[in-house]
Amino acid sequence: MSRHAELGRYLAGRVLLVPVMLWLIATLVFLLLRVAPGDPIDALLGTRATEEARAALRGQLGLDRPLPAQYTGFLLQLLRGQLGTSLTSGEEVIEVIRRSLPASLELGLTALVLAALLGLAVGFSGIARPEGRLDLAGRLYGIGTYALPPFWAAMVIQLVFAVWLRWLPVGGRLPPSLPPPDGSGFYVLDALVSADRPLLVASLRHLALPACTLGLLLSGVFTNALRLNLRRALQSDYVEAARSRGLPERRVVLRHALPNALLPVLTITGITVASLIGGALLIEVTFSWPGLAFRLQEAIAQRDYPVVQGIVVTVAALVVLVGVLVDILVALLDPRIRF
Amino acid sequence: MIGAAAPRQRCPALGLTLALALSGSLLGCATPRDLNRIVVARKARVDSVDPVQAVSLGAIQLLAALGDPLYRLGPDGTLTPVLAAAAPRLSADGLQATVRLREGLRFHDGTPLDAAALVFSLERFMAIGRLSYLLRDRVAALEVIAPLEMRLTLKAPYSPLPELLSSTLLTPVSPTAYRDHADRPLNTRFVGTGPYRLAAFDPQRQRLEPWQDYPGPPPANRGLDLISFSNSTALFGALLSDEVDVLLSSSLESDQQRALHQRAGQGGLKEAVGPALGITYLALRTDQPPLDRPELRRALALSVARRPVNARVSHGLNRPWRSVVPPSIGGSLAGAWPAYDPEQARRLLRQSGYCQGERLQLPLTFRSNSANDRLFALTWQAQIARDLGDCINLETSGVESTTAYRQLGDGAFPMIMLDWKPDFPDADSYLSPLLSCRESEGERCLAGESASGGSFWTRPGLQEQLVRSQEIRGEARTRVLEDIQREAAGGVPVIPIWLEAIRVWGQPRVGGLQFDGTGLLRLARLSTEGR
Repeated sequence: MSRHAELGRYLAGRVLLVPVMLWLIATLVFLLLRVAPGDPIDALLGTRATEEARAALRGQLGLDRPLPAQYTGFLLQLLRGQLGTSLTSGEEVIEVIRRSLPASLELGLTALVLAALLGLAVGFSGIARPEGRLDLAGRLYGIGTYALPPFWAAMVIQLVFAVWLRWLPVGGRLPPSLPPPDGSGFYVLDALVSADRPLLVASLRHLALPACTLGLLLSGVFTNALRLNLRRALQSDYVEAARSRGLPERRVVLRHALPNALLPVLTITGITVASLIGGALLIEVTFSWPGLAFRLQEAIAQRDYPVVQGIVVTVAALVVLVGVLVDILVALLDPRIRF
Repeated sequence: MIGAAAPRQRCPALGLTLALALSGSLLGCATPRDLNRIVVARKARVDSVDPVQAVSLGAIQLLAALGDPLYRLGPDGTLTPVLAAAAPRLSADGLQATVRLREGLRFHDGTPLDAAALVFSLERFMAIGRLSYLLRDRVAALEVIAPLEMRLTLKAPYSPLPELLSSTLLTPVSPTAYRDHADRPLNTRFVGTGPYRLAAFDPQRQRLEPWQDYPGPPPANRGLDLISFSNSTALFGALLSDEVDVLLSSSLESDQQRALHQRAGQGGLKEAVGPALGITYLALRTDQPPLDRPELRRALALSVARRPVNARVSHGLNRPWRSVVPPSIGGSLAGAWPAYDPEQARRLLRQSGYCQGERLQLPLTFRSNSANDRLFALTWQAQIARDLGDCINLETSGVESTTAYRQLGDGAFPMIMLDWKPDFPDADSYLSPLLSCRESEGERCLAGESASGGSFWTRPGLQEQLVRSQEIRGEARTRVLEDIQREAAGGVPVIPIWLEAIRVWGQPRVGGLQFDGTGLLRLARLSTEGR
């Protein structure tokens, strides 16, 4: 079978798996929410509403229906592309996601770029002199940032740069004096498009701390991945062959070893995107960044079933999509990959 | 070794310069603030600005600025008519109340506030309000009897009716603006009668502008921005870094509250304390062993060293209290529950067969998402171990609050720490939620608030006393309320621990930090002094 045919079959398999995975995830989150202790009615009404009031609200929200009926309704909604309405605010879940997703993506993508730049720079810096001081520092950096507890790191960074030094804001996406812009929901992009300098500066100032924190925490993954792969590549036969041809070491590293070492980093990037969701939760909560993870945490606390289900399914879809895209890219870029 | 040609060396230097320039511009370019506007921060996000959806303190605080109540409770408990022209007129049998509105009142959309609009708002609240039972359980009918007069027909006489009508939740809304939302909430817009109109709404930020046609005194500031930060450290930091002008204490960690309190003492901040209306208590399951024995419940009540425990937990910011009704409320009976007396507790425990080689094994559940609850549980556990370690073994465990509320009525907790702040301040709002019982068998409550609250305790005649306390006034009512508290203190279905007052801190330049009698900050009074 030709490589193209192999690739096509592989991709078709991956794409067909997507709805199955989403159904499994949707079912799992639906069931987990229902078996988890706690009740949205208690979260909404607190301890003291009368039994009648609780029953009325339960009926109003459709929570008095049998579980199979609720599940079927949820799946049918999902098939129609609907995610229901929030139990706490009555807002369409799609609207909740539409408002929160750009915030998460803006933070996540900025953090990813920062993490990649920082991580790769540190990972590459020590390669000139293995076991030298720079290499040791890179190694420590990789392990340290990876092992740093995210919540603690975020708190410390917030305290130092926002509270003590007062260089940057404590949290949120914009200062109270600036209304959120109409547009894509990506404030930096919206500010650039509308050439609104105060908005650009304000949104960058608010983005700086959470993005740098998340970027810093993720950068160790890139550092470690590049260091390991680069070292392996530098000890490989084809690099030795290049050296033996008398090529300068700089050229050997940049032209021969680095591209091969970077290929696995692409896969790492895909995995990092998925872990961004979990990692972002603590960052979003610490910096009151109104993204998906932040909203998810609130919805879980309130037992807002439709919002939790909607966000989890959306995030799962994004993660699966990124996974498939990375697989495709790796398959296209690396001719050694066979299926 | 990688070569390092001169031209390439400039690139990192250029990049570094650019990065530093960008950082410098970011660090130095904070958006200028209009210092005549006030930024108020608190923890809770506000999902809806519709009175029918409001449950949280954050939402009610916001509504208090956007809408006016019929009556306002002062910090001293006095009732002042706001939208109403005078106190409600009660019929001789106490079953009908007439409320007359002031003349010339208008909603933010320019439509008049008349009796029809008031009836529309209250009926809408009764039909779809989250807390509709507050009114629906007591009001049989509402009718317009004159353009500015509304009559409420009550199901039974209800003496705290004026206090109930002072609730911010009952603020009138414009029938014109809410015509299409008579049977469903309008979450992102508000059209009422208050000193501010809602200029922008987002769950995390609300922008309020003074309403130019407000008939009362105009706000002391040029507008408000209410923002929420999700964690205590961010709130604390935002006030210290001058990002916000005013910070409401709800859900702030006690260490941080103490730090702000100390800073206020040194003049670095201003501080105001609202009425102490929140009560923290232990609910004891009285219908199951071991706490079905009254002497054991009494021993536990005697074993709580409120003052030192409170000093550890809240650094003395809460007020140790031995009753379930706060002192600022009529009918409160100070010191109704037994004071700390470990020796007497030991005697009672000995009489019950403990302390002589056998220890009372007692689980104490606390809400794991409340830092104060956790600290109390651990501190009391240590105090019990010190004072009565040979008699009681307290086993502490945390349960997330929503889970705890779900299981309270199932009787899942022999002893659990809870708190309560009523929707309007009246003694009945504390006693009924803890003690009322619809169906009972001896001293065991089978259905009613006592059962759903986890204590399952009642006493023959107690429910009748509670009902009677709702129907009478004056000294006679005070006596009944005090009797109820004595009964409850004797039966010990709950052990009150302390009272919590909401606090607010402001920058030194902010003036007008005042609370009303319901514990809401008077946002329209906030000012930027000297500007």
